[in-house]
Amino acid sequence: MSLKPYSKLPELNTANVLLVENEEEFQKRLSEAIVRQENSVNVTVRLARCLPLPVENAEGRPRIDLVVFIVHLRSEQSLLSTEASLKHLDSGYFLGKVCFLVTGARSGTVSYERLASIKRTAASLNCPLLMTEDKTTEGVHTAAQRVLNILKVSAGLVPMASGLYLSTLIRCSMPTDSDWQNQD
Amino acid sequence: MDDSVKQLLRQIIRKIPSSKLESTLTKWDHLSKRQFRSLDFTQPKWLFCENLLSLCEENDLTVKQVTELDMLYHIEHPNQGTWYACQLVDAEEETLSSELVHFRESFKKHLKYLISHIAVKTKKNDDGSIWIRIAWGDNFTRPNHLKPSYVVHHLQTPYVFVSGLTAKYKTLLHQALVLSTRYRSITDVHLSGRCLSALRDLLMRQYKQVFPTKYPRPLQERNPLPSTPNIENEHMKHTENRLQMAAEVFGDGALPKLETAVYKLETKYRDNGNEMLSGREEPFRGEVRFTSSNLLESLKSCVSSGIACAPVTPLLSSITQKGRNYFVITDKGPGISRPPGPKI
Repeated sequence: MSLKPYSKLPELNTANVLLVENEEEFQKRLSEAIVRQENSVNVTVRLARCLPLPVENAEGRPRIDLVVFIVHLRSEQSLLSTEASLKHLDSGYFLGKVCFLVTGARSGTVSYERLASIKRTAASLNCPLLMTEDKTTEGVHTAAQRVLNILKVSAGLVPMASGLYLSTLIRCSMPTDSDWQNQD
Repeated sequence: MDDSVKQLLRQIIRKIPSSKLESTLTKWDHLSKRQFRSLDFTQPKWLFCENLLSLCEENDLTVKQVTELDMLYHIEHPNQGTWYACQLVDAEEETLSSELVHFRESFKKHLKYLISHIAVKTKKNDDGSIWIRIAWGDNFTRPNHLKPSYVVHHLQTPYVFVSGLTAKYKTLLHQALVLSTRYRSITDVHLSGRCLSALRDLLMRQYKQVFPTKYPRPLQERNPLPSTPNIENEHMKHTENRLQMAAEVFGDGALPKLETAVYKLETKYRDNGNEMLSGREEPFRGEVRFTSSNLLESLKSCVSSGIACAPVTPLLSSITQKGRNYFVITDKGPGISRPPGPKI
């Protein structure tokens, strides 16, 4: 059963974000940072290792306004698990309610192919892709800030803006061959 | 005191870090109170060593007394060099437990019978273990005190821990151990590491273990996950299961400190894409080595954080269950086969 964006009614002044990551460590820190940073809006964070989500929680689960896929470039498993999870998401989400969060892109040891592959996926789905740092506290703080900004728009809390509009503006562009050469 | 004794004392002092000199020398107890007070531990080591040498010369200490210092230091700080674990098997008479005095005498007697030029020193530690320091010599040379072997045996248990032993003297030591205890043979249990107490805890199961239960309630209470009501985990049950499984396999709390686990592969190469290698008759030999400052803790966190998929493979779980960290994997066996260890 895939997750649907509009099957539930929204609540007043509430934004719900779902973080999907196959390791749980960064997810936990990010969720704490998100909850701590936001005071004006009631933000709920739901954590998941992968999609589909367990059916038994479906009743109590609120409407999810934004799905964030966290990809660690250090591990191939993280990329594979994200790609598998994407299949279980309703197509309605790709109209401005999905974003990718990539960590470890600065490390010189990770292969560029992984980054290119996730960029290609994000570009083909018209989704934004955020590069973040997961090792430092400031990095997590910044990541939380950026996720919150997108979340508020996609939850409809910012007047005159919609998720679809924002993600058209900030969506990831298809990596070109010249990117490859620059990396080498 | 002749020159070789002086040389030995210098060597021993050189090995002991300056910060631990005072405590070790206090225990040594071969200097008078006045002599001990005259020592200045803030001096540079070479100068301190010369002063100590002159005091020892006054007392006219023998090799035996000097080696006692080395032994004291090793007992206090056992985590140096690599320790190997051996197990005595086939007890002869269960009712007769070996006594300390008897064991000490008969071990010395048997070892001296096997090889004449050796120096053996034994000491009983506070925790009930016997420490044996053996300096080996050839038929024509005197015992070499600079490279001694240490043997630790807990009476009433079949386990023996050895460090600094060369292959040349291995059989001799094993034979002497078998003869002086009430067992028929001794085998290598393929467990080694730098931390002696960790090996002991692992073999004697003296760490906090977790057993499978139907209602794993206590685990939920110390579950670190939910902190605020705004964060909710969709896979809570899954996470709990993983934590429980990790604790069942590797234990709970502080785990014994192992440094390495080695898997020797002697299996056929299996890959359909590669005809060259998979078609070969002889096994594809390889070695997989896991290294960490605390291996069991690392493996446990791999399982509990979900990096390694659960359930844990028997290859990893047998480190704790069988108490080994060296495995040979062959095709025929049920997974893990035990290579024929040196038996007497």
